[in-house]
Amino acid sequence: MKKSLRLGAAIALAATASLTLASCGFGGGNGSDGGDASGKTTLNMLVPSYSDATQDNWDTVIEGFEKENPDIDVKLEVQSWDNLESVITTKIQGGEAPDIYNGGPFAGFAADGLLYETKDVVSDDTYSDFQDSFLANAEVDGTAYALPLIASARALFVNNDLLEQAGVSAAPTNWDELLDAATKISKLGGGVAGYGMPLGSEEAQAEAAVWLWGGGGTFGDAEEITVDIPENLPGADQIKKMIDAGATQADPGSTDRTPLMEIFVQGKIGMQVGLPPTVGQIEDGNPDLNYSIVPIPTKDGSPFTLGVMDQLMAFQNDGDKQDAIKKFFDYYYSADVYVPWVQAEGFLPVTKSGAEQLKDDEALAPFLEVLPDAQFYPSSNPKWQATDGAFKSLFGQIQSKPAQDVLTEIQAQVDAS
Amino acid sequence: MSSTTDASPNPTGAAAGRPRSGGSPAGGKGAKPARRGKPGGRDLAAALPWITPALILIFGVVLFPAVVMFYNSTRDISLSGLDKGSVGFDNYVEVFQFPYFWPIFFRTIVWVVVVVAFTVVISLGLAQILNKAFPGRQLVRLVVIIPWAASVVMTTMVVYYGLEPYFGIINKFLVDIGLVDTPEGYGWTKNPTTAFMWSIIVAIFVSLPFTTYTILAGLATVPGDTLEAAKMDGAGSVRTYFTIVLPQLRGALSVAVLINIINVFNSLPILRVMTGSIPGYDADTIMTMIFKYIQNQHKVDVASALSVVAFVIVIVIVAVYVKVVKPMKEV
Repeated sequence: MKKSLRLGAAIALAATASLTLASCGFGGGNGSDGGDASGKTTLNMLVPSYSDATQDNWDTVIEGFEKENPDIDVKLEVQSWDNLESVITTKIQGGEAPDIYNGGPFAGFAADGLLYETKDVVSDDTYSDFQDSFLANAEVDGTAYALPLIASARALFVNNDLLEQAGVSAAPTNWDELLDAATKISKLGGGVAGYGMPLGSEEAQAEAAVWLWGGGGTFGDAEEITVDIPENLPGADQIKKMIDAGATQADPGSTDRTPLMEIFVQGKIGMQVGLPPTVGQIEDGNPDLNYSIVPIPTKDGSPFTLGVMDQLMAFQNDGDKQDAIKKFFDYYYSADVYVPWVQAEGFLPVTKSGAEQLKDDEALAPFLEVLPDAQFYPSSNPKWQATDGAFKSLFGQIQSKPAQDVLTEIQAQVDAS
Repeated sequence: MSSTTDASPNPTGAAAGRPRSGGSPAGGKGAKPARRGKPGGRDLAAALPWITPALILIFGVVLFPAVVMFYNSTRDISLSGLDKGSVGFDNYVEVFQFPYFWPIFFRTIVWVVVVVAFTVVISLGLAQILNKAFPGRQLVRLVVIIPWAASVVMTTMVVYYGLEPYFGIINKFLVDIGLVDTPEGYGWTKNPTTAFMWSIIVAIFVSLPFTTYTILAGLATVPGDTLEAAKMDGAGSVRTYFTIVLPQLRGALSVAVLINIINVFNSLPILRVMTGSIPGYDADTIMTMIFKYIQNQHKVDVASALSVVAFVIVIVIVAVYVKVVKPMKEV
């Protein structure tokens, strides 16, 4: 009996220790309900952090809103992008979905019937102020379930000094020129890399899209995810060609975008695809950097950019909160509130009134210019979330595996979800 | 139960160390064996108020999550976290049919065995040094605690950034002394094998304090006269260590090994930080795989199934260990 008791004790110890991880999934609920005793309506809001100033930017909006609507209380929670999706999943699982959520993929939530239709949570004026193309991107089966929040487009950041040193006269516009220029820059030595290619888990899907779509490929549409198709192969092969020629930094398959951008800012990388906020990053980190922003080179030089749109969505928690949510959105999207917010975060506006106000902004101009040629992720496809995850965890293997195998593996993981 | 024996303040019970073994010699008074005959009802009722908080804790923190985990592993949970009904054992089938499952399984074993083995061997040496009197010993003992006191994620981050190409201090050092010949350094954390090796080093580093201190406590219990006797019999220091000291450390060592096995098996943060950016599954252990199911694929159900599998593996390892080594047996 003694012995079994000890065995039992040891097993209990093992159980306790091994469950520490499992039980991590059960935290985070704060049990706040709709209205409290004073008759105030509380809106819970979960947003990701776009920059160090995100919290302050939202706080400013909320402060102004609460002043106009003293009966509504907005509770803000800011999470990092890394954690955002696990936080929202945990909250929904625990029946504590936020009322307002700012995130990427939304089709999964819409398919589960968790979201309000966009029309139901904004006034007609606000609804018609959204750029049509963005609104179309927020639709599932012809009904919009999300509110466009910000847009961003990508462009190629070029280090003019390195290009000059390598004897390249003009920024590349197609793949052949890009390969040539990047190889020449890499040959400068001293740890300088020609092209910064971040295929690590942080944002592999973006760099993948830049290449695969730039070669005429696609990830699919709202109905079907198509990764393993012949149209995607030229782009994937070109990635391999770049890596094999030594035109990229070392280990592109596991390099994350944010740290790599820092290295571009420090002037050690010839060319890298960046976003509007990159401009501010260079200003802070290395204002002396001599760089220019040009459209992303594609296979045949035709214009293209990867557009990303983030959305706000409203979860159906409690019928009586709908009005409060509507008030908040109408306030937020009014140009006087929205434009300063977008500007502070360094993104592109999604409202017609916003675009009108910002068209003279110099830093944003190169991006507003390429925006008409933007292609978006098929984020209204319910499987997009799985596709996104599959790219993040698998696409970097292209560094060491045949391109076709990687595409097949990603497609298989998407189909299995 | 213990209240019956503790009632008689006899030296036998105290010497034996355990109330239960004090029972029979103390049982001189006729009434007691009779009461022991049916230990159930009243004793339990009397004990209940005292043990209830502990029971609540065990049910709430250990058993409830375990049951939920097992329950989740048999459900179909949607991407956004909604329960869509039972799927039986399909999630387990998916876990075992995953082509990388067995490589991940064996890597987990390598991870546990290597980390625990190195930790114990190094700790034995460290404990021996710290057990000797030397000036500044207090200070050195404190320093050894630091990796334990610091957050594991923080320690790992420091190493991770040190290993980054371009700006990592470890890479810079290796370049300067000529071991790495690319000027920006080598991507230690960007390649599965080297990232895994560095993770092992960090894991050993953070496991050392606990193990060292457990062994140090064990060393303090080695009676001086046994060492003296060995000396008088002419045993050298090596022989003394292996035949006198080490056997007496058995208790401390076996506890240290057991706890380390469980701890290392379940360790997520080190591997998550060190190998997080590597694509594919060539540096994963079961724990990071559970994490990837949740984080990248949003499959809480499959992650739960794998957690149950991990849970079973730990229990099997511990059961085998307890059976073979008999760690709790007195020397």
